[in-house]
Amino acid sequence: MKKLLQLSCEVPRKGGIRAIDGKFKIYFKKLTNFRICYMALMLLLCLCQFLAAIKIPITLGQLNKAKKGVELVAGTTHTINEEEEYYIGRAVAANILSQYPLWKNQTLCRYLNLIGKALVLKSERPEIFAGYHFAVMDSREANAFSAPGGIILISRGIIDMAENEDEIAAILAHEIRHIVNKDPLKAIQSQRMKALGTFAAGEALGSSNEVLNIFKNSVLDITGTLLQKGYSRGQEKDADLQAMDLLAAAGYNPAALLTILEKCRGIEKKKAKAFSAHPAAAKRVAYVGEALGKAPAIDMSVRNARFSKSVSR
Amino acid sequence: MKKKACLLAFLAMTALLLAGKVLVVQVLHAQLLAKPDFLSSNLATIQKGACLEIIETKGSWFLVKNADGLKGYVHGSALAGRGTSLSGIAPGKKGASEEELALAAKGFNEGNERKLRGSREYDFTAVDWVMAQAVANPDVGDFVREGKLK
Repeated sequence: MKKLLQLSCEVPRKGGIRAIDGKFKIYFKKLTNFRICYMALMLLLCLCQFLAAIKIPITLGQLNKAKKGVELVAGTTHTINEEEEYYIGRAVAANILSQYPLWKNQTLCRYLNLIGKALVLKSERPEIFAGYHFAVMDSREANAFSAPGGIILISRGIIDMAENEDEIAAILAHEIRHIVNKDPLKAIQSQRMKALGTFAAGEALGSSNEVLNIFKNSVLDITGTLLQKGYSRGQEKDADLQAMDLLAAAGYNPAALLTILEKCRGIEKKKAKAFSAHPAAAKRVAYVGEALGKAPAIDMSVRNARFSKSVSR
Repeated sequence: MKKKACLLAFLAMTALLLAGKVLVVQVLHAQLLAKPDFLSSNLATIQKGACLEIIETKGSWFLVKNADGLKGYVHGSALAGRGTSLSGIAPGKKGASEEELALAAKGFNEGNERKLRGSREYDFTAVDWVMAQAVANPDVGDFVREGKLK
């Protein structure tokens, strides 16, 4: 078979396909300086588009860096987004509050929210789906819980024990760090997330009851960890050490964590309950004391005055 | 003439790609702030699902432009990559495909909470009381300054 196409860079000056003597020939235009410049410009623009395209993941990488420590539950097939975390957190808090009623003291609650918000703004996760909220449980046990999605509950027993604003801030900073680290979500058994992931991917049709059961069991996984089982020692130690950094960043005295833990140790010596699902206070006192640097000189006069005003025992 | 039109289209596409790094607000209400500081003035409140054009980054902060062309800073924790999270898509709102809504419906949501309400094991009335105890950023600013915090 005859060759149909022949390439040529010669005349005619206008490019295109010509049929000559029954053969098709493709002619390219003569490469003038203008055309070379034009092609170079196009190549440059293509390169720009390529760079813009690969820059998007860089931006997302920066976003992830901004959310350091806010990774989703590892090893699961369903990833929990901000809104889902909020709804799980509401159910966890509702479950806890069915066992520990609220102390509806609005002056104290506002004071707690101001301390908590001052800390949160210095954390790596200051924005959360519906914001952080702090409240007091009407219980004389010394206890504190952080539900996913930013609900932090501390007991009246903690308020009784604290001698100043910085000590309350220390307890809140520890709980905030659990939320920033997404520790409560890590308490959910991975099998639940795998099952939910399967439903979501449409591999199997999950009925609304099956999904509700996964939701309920996930909530119970978390409340079981918060009220009884406790986080791992590593998670607790991280939360303590990071809480000290958070206190310092917000202008509170990091040594306040040590002083409040020493009070807990005192309670535990009397065999009373203090932070039932946390490691023994004595162990926490040891590593917190070790990590503590030189105490900064802090003027506490205004803080002490507002603490006395807001906290009625 | 045809060539010029092609060139213009190509240039416009390039400009869009270069400028159009878009992130989505993943929290209920994000603040568009004058400075990369929560205690600076709030220029606007941006609702969940809003797309923001990223102009530049400053640590954990993003200088963004909203749909009205207003520029300001938003903290990275309020944002998600386009298509990486469904939390920015509210059911029934423009932008959510049927597939996305079906996926979102399979997760943990208000519908599941409604089914738990009324059970003795869950006190959602108490949770609603807690959620109502909010403090505004200007009040936090006063509290920080007064208490010689940072």
